[in-house]
Amino acid sequence: MERTEASTKHGLINTISVAYNKMLLNPAYKYAVLLLGLPVNLVVLFFYFVQRTKDTYSSVRDEIKFELIASGYRDDLRAEIEEQSLRKHAFFGQEVKQEELKRQVDKITEAQFYKTLLERTNEKLKHSNQKRLTFAGTFTSLIKHPLFLIATFIPGLPMYILILLYGNSYLKYIFERLVMSMFVILGVAVLVFTILHLSPFHPAANILGETATQEQIAAFNKMHGLDQPYFVQLWNTLKGIATFDLGKSFSGSEVVTTTIASKFPITLTLTIISLVIAIIIALPIGIISATKPNSFFDYTFIFIALIGLSIPSFWQGLIFILNFSIKLQWLPATFNPQNWLSIIMPVVVLGTGLTAAVARMTRSSTLEVINEDYIMTAKAKGLSQRQVLLKHAVGNAIIPIITVIGLQFGGMLGGAAVTEKVFNISGIGSYIVDKQFIPDIPSIMGGVVYTAITISLVNVMIDILYAFFDPRIRSKMKQY
Amino acid sequence: MTKLSVSKHETQHKLKSFQEYSQASFAWIISSVLSVILFINSYDFTSKTMKPYVLAASVIYAAFTLLQLIITAKIRRDILVHGHIKNSTRALGYIQILSILTGNVFIVTSACSLIKKDKPPEYTIAVYMLLTQLFVIAVSEINLFKPYVADTFPLAMLILLAIALFQFVTLLLVSKYVKRNNARPWLSIAAFPLIFTSLTGNVFALLLGLTLLTKIRNNGNPAAAKWEEVWERLTKNTTAMSGLFFIIFLFSISICSFFTFDYSVAIENNYGAILQSPSLAYPFGTDNFGRCLFSRIIFGARISLIVGFISTAIPVVIGGTLGAISGFYGRRTDNIIMRMLDILYAIPGILLAIAIIAAFGANTVNLILALSIGSIPTYARTMRANVLLVSTFEFVDAARAFGARNSSIIFKHIVPNSLAPMIIKSTLTIGGAVISTSSLSYLGLGVEPHIPEWGNILKLGSAYLESHSYLAIYPGLAIMALVLSFNFLGDGLRDALDPKMD
Repeated sequence: MERTEASTKHGLINTISVAYNKMLLNPAYKYAVLLLGLPVNLVVLFFYFVQRTKDTYSSVRDEIKFELIASGYRDDLRAEIEEQSLRKHAFFGQEVKQEELKRQVDKITEAQFYKTLLERTNEKLKHSNQKRLTFAGTFTSLIKHPLFLIATFIPGLPMYILILLYGNSYLKYIFERLVMSMFVILGVAVLVFTILHLSPFHPAANILGETATQEQIAAFNKMHGLDQPYFVQLWNTLKGIATFDLGKSFSGSEVVTTTIASKFPITLTLTIISLVIAIIIALPIGIISATKPNSFFDYTFIFIALIGLSIPSFWQGLIFILNFSIKLQWLPATFNPQNWLSIIMPVVVLGTGLTAAVARMTRSSTLEVINEDYIMTAKAKGLSQRQVLLKHAVGNAIIPIITVIGLQFGGMLGGAAVTEKVFNISGIGSYIVDKQFIPDIPSIMGGVVYTAITISLVNVMIDILYAFFDPRIRSKMKQY
Repeated sequence: MTKLSVSKHETQHKLKSFQEYSQASFAWIISSVLSVILFINSYDFTSKTMKPYVLAASVIYAAFTLLQLIITAKIRRDILVHGHIKNSTRALGYIQILSILTGNVFIVTSACSLIKKDKPPEYTIAVYMLLTQLFVIAVSEINLFKPYVADTFPLAMLILLAIALFQFVTLLLVSKYVKRNNARPWLSIAAFPLIFTSLTGNVFALLLGLTLLTKIRNNGNPAAAKWEEVWERLTKNTTAMSGLFFIIFLFSISICSFFTFDYSVAIENNYGAILQSPSLAYPFGTDNFGRCLFSRIIFGARISLIVGFISTAIPVVIGGTLGAISGFYGRRTDNIIMRMLDILYAIPGILLAIAIIAAFGANTVNLILALSIGSIPTYARTMRANVLLVSTFEFVDAARAFGARNSSIIFKHIVPNSLAPMIIKSTLTIGGAVISTSSLSYLGLGVEPHIPEWGNILKLGSAYLESHSYLAIYPGLAIMALVLSFNFLGDGLRDALDPKMD
């Protein structure tokens, strides 16, 4: 019992020191770790300087350098490199000036000499069982004392958390993906803001009308902060996005984030239902079609899927309304939250493209997998067709399919704008389209950025899902 | 059981090795679908009467379909029993060529492929070239029923007819004197005028002229076979060729329409002919301003093709360059470029386009820019992946060992060898660009409303969905046909350029 406790403690310290050493080699993590654990690192630095005065490394190196120069090694090396360079130039028929040649030779010689010097020094130190004192090495030796760990635990807490995140490959992967998508979201916000800022239009003139006086326009600009310089506005917008407070819209003076929050659910519901239905239909069709390539079913299906990809969704919506609402009168033509029948047509229209894309991807990636050697092995083992397909083929074919689904999800959230307009749904897409005529900058900004944030988060989740589906990615994650 | 499945497999393999069989079956299936659609449309549900002309057309279509079905069965039997297609079966193809009078391009191409035993790609291209020309003439001819025609109409039609005649002669020459691996040198006399006739927008003529010239130049030289093979695989693929046919047909008609169509019928209001149903003078009817819908759709093809091509070409060049740079230099360059593009990638294309158009206003130039910027990242990613792959090949190392500069390695060795996936991808995404263009126009964010663009026409038509639904149906069909053609062509190109998939 005591022993295991000791070993876990020892293991923890070991993990920390290994991770710390690794992190110092990585430029991005190096600064993060040094800054987060600044108090601890200052202490380590102090010890490092104290110990360095006793270090023998530089004296050994000087000694070897002197030896090497005295033995004529440097001159031999130089002569050799000069000859090589001359031959190289002769082979390519290049004319090189004497000075240029000398400069090149000097450079290569210096680099080679330094390399040899380092090698020899390290060899010699190893012989006498010494090690070059480094900053990370000091930390490693310090952390071995439990007292140091306890004393620095509180001031160095952020650093230790980061180190532990780094130590666990899954956590590190998720953490890195999250940080990256934070940067992407920041970039999206800056980009969209800049595009809208560059606009040559004056929303004030559009909203107040042509009769607006100079003072009225100035007051409008002041109210919405449009008279401030670019960077101040950008900073305010970024802050607004992070705190869910984008102020009031230019026209109608509604609170932008509240309006967006009330319009987002219906778009998201529509998209998710379409997504689920599309996957339920597309996966089996794609797999069946791949198991019977070049059959009548396969050709028919490819053809239908291609039509599904080629049909413009707004036209499909109009044709549906024409047939099912006007002629047959089965379904209502416009969306109404109280009537669940009215969501059928929008869901089908929005899901058509996705169904076609996923089915085509399923077919091609299953076809690719089905000819692999391990499928042959599974068949030779005597597994039934069903077992081979479900256990061996689908699991391996699913990765590109998930990628397509992730990509299409973004496309669907964007494409929902068109479908919403056709069926008169007051979702986020039709909101952005309505607002762009003014242009109502905070509303468009909020709509686009929050949609992009949703898509980024979904993509992060998909990246993490990969790890659960694909052992190859899991093992790759552990390696780096 | 085993024997049965083996023989079934063998049968399939045998049938698959004859392209005539698959083309014939494709032709009868599509043609029967067309007959059924015509038949359904011949019955007027509201007044419960038959339309005699449409019914007649559907009967003629059905007759050709039946004959095609018989021919397909005969081909199948010939292949399975004799191992080749008998000449008597091939002769039936001449009857099927008559179906050109009904405009059934599927049966005509299948028949042309049936009557000739040994088909070099040039023969197939020549057939499609002539078909395109005839279709352009036939569609332009419809203007004769209008009260008046454009001033240049008679002269333009005469020139088009002369070109068609010349192309017919070339087709005969090609079918007689061009063999699989050589061509008579004197055919280059015909090749140059052919290239000249492609000024009418008939790209098949240009293709035929160029392939003839290269074939004559490389007579008997096996080294130049790579593109030859690609062409051969592509021309065997009926769906891809049908897609290419429709695209080139639209391209050609949009060029010829400058001379054979009267633009005023499409844009000027004519209050004497408001909301008329389809007739001979107005094949697709007229809209609420009395403008001819048929002419509007023909003129709309111009905008759709231009916007589609340019908004694909711009991101291909920019994205391709960025991807090549980031794939070749790697490390920090790669990181910076790809992270920047990740930002663009996170915004859905249509929302980015809406934001850009909101900022700079709705017109065609802004639309093209908005669509282009959104699709830069996908091309950059495709190009980067290819460049990463190609950079590991030996010829790149060899070039480097010979002291080639980075720029010459990238542009001479890496880029040409990683173009194939870019070509496939761009063909597939032109269709997407066409859809986006019309969607944005439909929302009022695309092409200016007074220009007859397919999305604009549909926007107007959607208001009359209940009473005059043809105003919304025909432009939508045009969009779908064009996008479908690009998708067919893209799929065919992928199979032709990347044969390992099959």
